[in-house]
Amino acid sequence: MLSLTTQTTDTTALVAYDLYKQYGDTPVVQNVSFTIHPGEVLGLLGPNGAGKTTIVGMLYGGVAPSRGFVKLGSIQVQSDGRTARAKMGIVTQEDNLDPDFSVFENLLHFAHHYRLTGKAARNRVGELLAQVNLEDHAKKRIDELSGGMKRRLVLARALINHPHVVFLDEPTTGLDPDARQEFWKLVIALKQQGCGVLLTTHYMDEAQRLCDRLLLLQQGQVIDQGAPDELIQRTVGKEVVEIEGVDEAKLQALAAQFNTWCRPFGSGYLLALPGYTPLWDYLVAAEPQRLTRRLANLEDVFLRLTGKVLE
Amino acid sequence: MKRLSATPWGVYSVWHRHAKVYQRTWLVNFLPPVTEPIMYLIAFGFGLSPLVGDITYAGQPVSYLRFIAPAMIAIGVLFQSFFEGGYSSFIRLNFQKTWQALLTAPLSFTEVFLGDWLWAATKGMIAGTLTGLVAVAWGLYSPLNLLLSLPLMLLGSLLFGAMGLFTAGSVRQIDQINIPIFLFIIPMFTLCGTYFPRETLPPVLHAIATVLPLSSLIDLLRWNLGLQPYWWLQLLWLVALMLIFLSLAIRKIYPHLVK
Repeated sequence: MLSLTTQTTDTTALVAYDLYKQYGDTPVVQNVSFTIHPGEVLGLLGPNGAGKTTIVGMLYGGVAPSRGFVKLGSIQVQSDGRTARAKMGIVTQEDNLDPDFSVFENLLHFAHHYRLTGKAARNRVGELLAQVNLEDHAKKRIDELSGGMKRRLVLARALINHPHVVFLDEPTTGLDPDARQEFWKLVIALKQQGCGVLLTTHYMDEAQRLCDRLLLLQQGQVIDQGAPDELIQRTVGKEVVEIEGVDEAKLQALAAQFNTWCRPFGSGYLLALPGYTPLWDYLVAAEPQRLTRRLANLEDVFLRLTGKVLE
Repeated sequence: MKRLSATPWGVYSVWHRHAKVYQRTWLVNFLPPVTEPIMYLIAFGFGLSPLVGDITYAGQPVSYLRFIAPAMIAIGVLFQSFFEGGYSSFIRLNFQKTWQALLTAPLSFTEVFLGDWLWAATKGMIAGTLTGLVAVAWGLYSPLNLLLSLPLMLLGSLLFGAMGLFTAGSVRQIDQINIPIFLFIIPMFTLCGTYFPRETLPPVLHAIATVLPLSSLIDLLRWNLGLQPYWWLQLLWLVALMLIFLSLAIRKIYPHLVK
């Protein structure tokens, strides 16, 4: 039984309670509950089709839940989405920037929707462009920006209103490693400023690096949750072994003997390596074609829980 | 998301965004509604008028140019508001994802919808007014006539803008917008008494043309030449159609945005 934290006295926390969504007879999100506190990064980690984007949609009112509700402080999103969104920042998966405007104008005209106009709006836009390192590109058109710049601009747009909570839906998908690192710095800065962040991703390193807590999702359901290190320690342990060229039956027998587990992984197998056992020596003795010993990560957690590699 | 909640600021803010885009290319945008009626009036004025001479409308002889001038205004209203509501809104909805971006701001669906609709109507008004100014400059329509016709132009712009938005919400591919254009807009453009009195059409076509909304708008804009005996029915018909298409457009577009 997963523990569900849905009651909070924090007036700026976001609470999602028992979210359920079905299209026709097909449930896509089932009984998902969580809280995002100020200064906390909560990650939704799961493969494509796990329901991450649907959950984000329900958080800001773009998707109507079949059951359940979302509250930001005392504001119920489903009945007063406009008021709730005035305190939220939303970075959707698609770069829906306005191609008719320059970088500066994109932010300036979006600020207008928050009743921020004139000098105050221009000052805020200047601040944001400096924050996301786009000051030198203010006059550029959107189609002149790189993928990473566009993502940073969408983030800046989401921060116009000094939001209490920010939703980042797969914000670094398709970015090169440098651009991802750049984006990560901005997320860490948000957290340090006390902003609550919800991050959906299918990148393990991103989840492990940025998230304080994780909800692991599969087929719309939470299959486990916790801090990244805690999840790894509890589910997999400290170390794992990747092995190729050894018969599966033999590996499964060894896993059973040492009270651990073995799963198909790539062209070989993955075994959790319990401490203080001679399992490693047995594996070496089996003369595999390839044998790699490494620290366990979130991908191993997902493999252990679902039998599948996260894509 | 509350579908029906709307504030004046929210609607204005969406309209303001579209107006700012328009402002960037205002010269290009102003050209078609000014040059098109001039071309038509030159073509028909110098080309057809000598052949046609005066025609009888509402029981009195009227010069051909004075007959088609109000229709040119209606055509400007029709094309600009329908194309803005149809093509431009379809692009904002499906390619640029502007609607989706706006709904991440503190705006309701209704505000975004109304902002788009009113912008489509604004484009119709701009086109109708500019065409009207050309007609005034040509001496075919008095400035007072044009001023008093503005509410009719607004009604037509709102109706055809709603039809455009209904189209944008209904079609799946941009090319499919051609279907209502070929089956509805072009027949209206040609049959609704734009270039000749509808009475010259065969009875069945005459009946069909009379119920098409452009006929009502053109007849009402010709009020300075004389109104039809059933003009109030034409007015009610335009209002009713506007409400029907507005409701249909909301029903079609809402599911695109709130799943």
